[in-house]
Amino acid sequence: MTLMNTPRADGATDAVGAATTGTPEKAERAPRSRGDKVNWPLTTVLILCAVTVIVPLYVTLSMAFKTQAQAVDGNAFSLPAPFSVDGFVTAWTLTNFPAAFTVTVIITVCTVVGTVILGALASFAISRNWDRKLFRYSFFYLLAAMFIPFPVVALPQIQLTGLAGLDNPAGVILLHIMFQLSFSILLFTAFLRSIPAELEESARIDGASTWQTFWQLIFPLLAPMSATVGIFAFLASWNDFMMPSLITSDPALQTLPVVQSIFQTQFSNNYNVSFASYLMAMAPAIIVYLFTQRWVMEGVTQGAVKG
Amino acid sequence: MPRRRSAKVLASSLGILMLGTGLAACSAGDSPETVRFYLSKPEAIPYFRELIKEYNASNDDVEVILDSSANLQAGFLRGNPPDLGLLNYNMEMARFMERGALSDLSDMPEAERILPEVQDLVDQYATYPGRTSVLPYSVMAASVIYNTKIFEDQGLEVPTTYDELIAVCEKLKAAGITPFYGTFKDPWTAAQGWFDYTVGGEVDVATFYEQMNAQGTEVGPNSAASFQKDFEKPVTQMQELIDNYTNPDAASKGYGDGNLAFANGEAAMYMQGPWAFGEIAKTSPDLPLGTFPLPMTNNPDDLQVRVNIDLAAWIPEDSKHKDAARAFLSYLFQQDVVDKYNAAQLGYGTTVDAAPATDPRILGMKEYYESGDFYQGASKAIPLTIPTENYVQGIAVGGDVTSTLSTLDADWARLALRR
Repeated sequence: MTLMNTPRADGATDAVGAATTGTPEKAERAPRSRGDKVNWPLTTVLILCAVTVIVPLYVTLSMAFKTQAQAVDGNAFSLPAPFSVDGFVTAWTLTNFPAAFTVTVIITVCTVVGTVILGALASFAISRNWDRKLFRYSFFYLLAAMFIPFPVVALPQIQLTGLAGLDNPAGVILLHIMFQLSFSILLFTAFLRSIPAELEESARIDGASTWQTFWQLIFPLLAPMSATVGIFAFLASWNDFMMPSLITSDPALQTLPVVQSIFQTQFSNNYNVSFASYLMAMAPAIIVYLFTQRWVMEGVTQGAVKG
Repeated sequence: MPRRRSAKVLASSLGILMLGTGLAACSAGDSPETVRFYLSKPEAIPYFRELIKEYNASNDDVEVILDSSANLQAGFLRGNPPDLGLLNYNMEMARFMERGALSDLSDMPEAERILPEVQDLVDQYATYPGRTSVLPYSVMAASVIYNTKIFEDQGLEVPTTYDELIAVCEKLKAAGITPFYGTFKDPWTAAQGWFDYTVGGEVDVATFYEQMNAQGTEVGPNSAASFQKDFEKPVTQMQELIDNYTNPDAASKGYGDGNLAFANGEAAMYMQGPWAFGEIAKTSPDLPLGTFPLPMTNNPDDLQVRVNIDLAAWIPEDSKHKDAARAFLSYLFQQDVVDKYNAAQLGYGTTVDAAPATDPRILGMKEYYESGDFYQGASKAIPLTIPTENYVQGIAVGGDVTSTLSTLDADWARLALRR
């Protein structure tokens, strides 16, 4: 506010002040850009980084609305002319989009919820019993899973899930949670160490059981980290191709990334259809990120610095 | 209050988990017998989807489900592969057959109707003693695609000997027209078109690989048959054609670029298969196109076209609905159903009573197909563990023919040793 008052005191700049009153943010920022020099090298790097994201996104958008003839004309950057929604219609019917979307949503939601709850419970137990061998080694054991990529264990997993009757989305959920667990526990335990033990001790003095301590005290405190873990689990589960493609045997219960793979073959390119389909599949991930990016950033920094 | 809320969260998340499992369980519903029909060719899906709808409407006790996303390896491993498969037949698919994973269909009346020379194509990859487990449904014949308008404008005839081909290329070049459009950025186009057509035009591919398989680890510079010995002449000719008669930027062009350029009349000839017609038509739907077998010798009797089994049907041994799958297979093999598919997809029929091909774009190959003058691509008979396509790409962009072919020989022998 003081910044805005300064020009007003000076009669010569009164007009400027009047003009800027409508947009207070502008007025507050103005002196900074006048005073500090713009860091051009860094700005250039940031612009380049932004471009690497914006350009593919633009191509996806414009491709999705092109006609088939225009989609193969070799100009990825041209605007759609004429504007066509055929790609969306074809993609919608060819993949049975609503069904595949529902299955993908169910798998993703269950994976996120399962990962957050199991990860938090396990991390709580491990971090509060760090002096016991069993818990310490179970931490290392869970972490070791980070070094096992899915393709390595794919064949036995296919056989096992088949034998156990889990060759369906339930099996995919289970495996997604398993593979997400090690990284989540790493994040959660680091965060849990920054929560002072005194908090829990005071809860205990008030008569809280371990279960109550966790749900009423620790879990709410873990919220920012849960958001981070949840977002990672969401992205991994939503975008996964290989696991559902190998594990799920019923085509009606297949996920979006897998049913979309039919658009690109060696012999034919349906760019407009595939990009329309990718756009429909990408939208939820982008929307989720738009609304949760604040927590992602917070979570990452909070986990990084141990208290 | 907070305690109750967290309990609710837990309960609802458990509920969602159970919903997931419940949804999976209901798919195993039992009222009509379900036949899972695997078809992965995207262009064919709309046609077969209609067929399935008709079939399901006329049958109360069987329901056919279209599956276009299954992973075959996983399905066979798990013991629940699709009940009926209709897809491209190649060496990878032959592995399943060789190990007895596909059931015997020789007692079906449809097996009697298959042309013997077409059934032979299946056996060229692998056989399983006493079984006919794969029934070819549609064959794609491939040869040089040419722009008939450019040929007419230049007063050119379709060449039937190698010398005539060179003369045609020279005339086109003199008129400022690129004779061939090359797309060597995509290795498969170099192997499928250039390598297979040139080799197939000169070498008896099936006999060659029979010898190679018999020799196994013996393959080398001194063996009776070897890539170095038998393929050197055609592959050298291939390199000559590429060096002299393709677009100068061929090395940096891909399949999509090629279709676009050819559709815009930028070259007179294109070494691609009928699958490219659909792609070309996206840009120029009315472009007059034709096909002719690539002449590699100076004897017109040597002319042959390259074929591949575009779709072949099989029923796995592990299928629990074999009879229902067989019934649907018979439905698919009805002559008018097959003919309609082939007409739409520019395929050739595989049965004795198949309707003749009529599309002008593939008419140029009709006489060769009908008289059995065809071969399966030489690059397709080499296991994928050997990067044949990349070797061919190397030759196409100027690599040494002799040394690359001897590398191929060495790879072949090494692979034979490992098996």
